Amino acid sequence: MTKDLEHQFVTELEKNQNIVHKVCTLYTNDRDSHKDLFQEITIQLWKAYPKFRGDSKFSTWMYRVALNTAITLYRKSKKNIRTQDYESVIFKISADEYDPTEEQQLKLMYNAVKQLGDIDKALVFLYLEEKNYTEIADTLGITEVNARVKMNRIKNKLRTILNP
Amino acid sequence: MDELELLKKDWKKRGDQMPQLGYDEIYKMIWKKSSSIVKWIFIISILEFLIPHLLYLTPSMSKTLAIWRDLGLGNFLVISSIVQYSVVLFFIYQFYRRYKEISTLDNAKLLLSNILKTRKTVKYYVIFCLSLIFISFLVMAAGLYLSDDPMAAMGYDNSMEQVDPAKLKITMMATVIVLGVIVTAAMGCIYFLLYGLLIKKLNKNYKELKEMEV
Repeated sequence: MTKDLEHQFVTELEKNQNIVHKVCTLYTNDRDSHKDLFQEITIQLWKAYPKFRGDSKFSTWMYRVALNTAITLYRKSKKNIRTQDYESVIFKISADEYDPTEEQQLKLMYNAVKQLGDIDKALVFLYLEEKNYTEIADTLGITEVNARVKMNRIKNKLRTILNP
Repeated sequence: MDELELLKKDWKKRGDQMPQLGYDEIYKMIWKKSSSIVKWIFIISILEFLIPHLLYLTPSMSKTLAIWRDLGLGNFLVISSIVQYSVVLFFIYQFYRRYKEISTLDNAKLLLSNILKTRKTVKYYVIFCLSLIFISFLVMAAGLYLSDDPMAAMGYDNSMEQVDPAKLKITMMATVIVLGVIVTAAMGCIYFLLYGLLIKKLNKNYKELKEMEV
């Protein structure tokens, strides 16, 4: 029975691991921290798994636990020095779509998003994942109106970071 | 905003380029130990519940207990112990109840609020302990004031006949009170430092979510 549960969980997570990786990319700055956070999220997901009843999609449930772990439970290890090596992986643009202005703009955008606070990042993340405002509000525990207002503020904030 | 839409498009593509972990790697991870803030709060809180009680086991404390009796403060000790233990039990019950309420399946705000509430229970407990420690020092000073032979009560031979007893009494009382302030302040400092460091991030994020409501 437990073996079944383990297998089921690991298979599901393996299939949906992109969600966790993306959260880690936003909330950490180097490979070690990325791995660290990925592990902590995995542990939290596994701990909560028995309570997951399938009334929502596995991936929906994952967003919540993963973001909660990043915003609340995760303690940054001291060694979070930004490494050049890692940056180049995130901001790699493949040759066929190379467009210097667009690449430059994207790089600036990613850097700007990285500078946001934990909560703002969560909003941007859910927005980028094309969640609607009801879901964003529900995940963070705020009202839909406030989620919209906050998102607009973040857009302004990003604009100021980009054009100081 | 154009840039954010651009980012959204790119974000989707990027998702497919993420590093992928294999089944075995993920399987190994689920058996690793969590190092979450909640776990740290739990461990440190348990220590904070225990430490004031461990103090009673030290040899100097049993000597102090004898002083209390000699000062005629035995009753205060019994009553304060009864009060203290009932309050401790109440706090432990509260702490456990709140700790159980913490679930990563709640929304971010509720989760943060539940963790902070759990931690606050311990904060109140520590404030209670600190006040009790300070009050004990004050009561001891009062005991000295009422005692006929404070020196003997403190366990010293009354060999300093040449010293004015009234002066001696005041000096001893002042020493006890100053000591009380120092001990309470030192314990308070250690505690609030730990408390502050642990929940700095939580407080910041919670405040941000709360502020959205204004």
